[in-house]
Amino acid sequence: MTLLLDVRGLRAGYGPVEVLHGIDLSVAQGEVVVVLGANGAGKTTMMRAISGTISRHGSVQLSGDETVAKSPDAIVRAGVAQVPQGRGTFVDLTVDDNLRAGAFTRRDGEIEADLDRWYGVFPRLGERKTQRAGGLSGGEQQMLAVARALMSRPTLLLCDEPSLGLAPIVVQELFATLAGLNRDEGLSVLLVEQNANLAMGIAQRAYLLETGTIVASGDVDELRKDDAIRKAYLGY
Amino acid sequence: MERFLQYFFDGLSQGSIYALIALGVVIIYRGSGHLNFAQGEMAMISAFIAWWYADLGLSPWLAVGVASVTAFVAAMGIERFIIRPIGHKSPFAVVVASIGLFLGMNALAPFAWKVTIPQAYEALFPDKATDFVRIGGAEWREQNIGVLLVLAVIAGALYLLFQRTRFGLAMRAVASNPESAPLVGIRTGQVLAVSWGLAAAVGAVGGAMVASLRGNVDASMMFTIFFAAVAAATLGGYDSLIGAVFGGITLGIFENMVAGYQPDVVGQELKGVVSLVVILAVLLVRPSGLFGTRRVERV
Repeated sequence: MTLLLDVRGLRAGYGPVEVLHGIDLSVAQGEVVVVLGANGAGKTTMMRAISGTISRHGSVQLSGDETVAKSPDAIVRAGVAQVPQGRGTFVDLTVDDNLRAGAFTRRDGEIEADLDRWYGVFPRLGERKTQRAGGLSGGEQQMLAVARALMSRPTLLLCDEPSLGLAPIVVQELFATLAGLNRDEGLSVLLVEQNANLAMGIAQRAYLLETGTIVASGDVDELRKDDAIRKAYLGY
Repeated sequence: MERFLQYFFDGLSQGSIYALIALGVVIIYRGSGHLNFAQGEMAMISAFIAWWYADLGLSPWLAVGVASVTAFVAAMGIERFIIRPIGHKSPFAVVVASIGLFLGMNALAPFAWKVTIPQAYEALFPDKATDFVRIGGAEWREQNIGVLLVLAVIAGALYLLFQRTRFGLAMRAVASNPESAPLVGIRTGQVLAVSWGLAAAVGAVGGAMVASLRGNVDASMMFTIFFAAVAAATLGGYDSLIGAVFGGITLGIFENMVAGYQPDVVGQELKGVVSLVVILAVLLVRPSGLFGTRRVERV
């Protein structure tokens, strides 16, 4: 299997405070990988370091190309799209404009076709095309954030705690959509979650992040069998 | 009725000037949240540049166009090499820097062109005493109509730019959520630099309109106009382009009505106070202005 994302010795933080103390992590082509961790473990910092929105050191390779010194827009062009924590939609823009902004890096003629496609996958967004994104419900905004990220035609989708603040039924729907995209389109996903049960349900492999260090990793089935992990993250 | 129409027409062109400067203030504010105190002085310098080009032999309108382009490029440089590096350190420092630019530019104009008294500026519109249209007994001067038309063209062009182009979408996205814009591949820095350039280019046209109406260029020509423009932007809402146009026109008309109907209480000398009263009233009653986005904080 070729490695789509290969992270080695990644260090990052804010000003003088280092949050990630050198982590190694990889995502293979077509794989869903979940990173589990408590609040403050450094999950969001890791996502920001990969998408290039904070300063970082170490190595982040995308299909063999080093991106650790690249700007965020260059990383989007290289095929990485991030769904940020808290959705990060453009609340003053319409749903349609949000999706068009998602295609900002593209210059091909298939943007309209892609719009129709994602309106098909997320019919609720299609119904609210001309409404301001700020007026959508939390679940709809999360769908919009995912669809906006997909509009850049990414090879790797970064999802930062998509379940945060959503009703359980909406979360299930969202995870089913992500699993479907992975299964049908071969979309690779790096998912950060606190909802370990659900996330491990759609992922092939998982990493455990504690205070900026990877403490365990492996196939989800193996990790489920580990007593310590089960108690700490799965709660049974 | 005749008096009313006269004050209305005069206010309309004065308001168009306010709107042009307010548009510049709003374009920069939307992108970065900074109030550019130098907006008026940038327009003043640009008017000097237009005057200088015309003096070198360019036709008056071509001189305005070239001055606009010059202002666009220069302001992009100011954003890139002064505002952005300072902004990384502290947002408050940007306010201080823009006040510094205000003072610096005000001192620069007389120094750069070695002139201390107002310099004659060739009018951009017919400006003879007989160049007016009579409506309802009032005289609507052709130069006042011209200024209003210029505002309409600029506002229309900005609307198309913001609503119909890819770059306009990027500018709106940065204004709405600067943290998310890079995640879709928008270069926020580039957008901010162009915002400054655009604000300066629109300001340059505003400055030329002021010079044309006064018949001269002078270092102090934008002082009161800038503060009226800030009042107009406050009234319309700092992040709304439509608000800037509406606020500018409304303030211009209101100011002329107050000064015209209350010549003993307000009159021409105290006209500027109207802006101050408007700023205070809006901030007290509706801080987001008439068209501005009301920020909802979820806690």
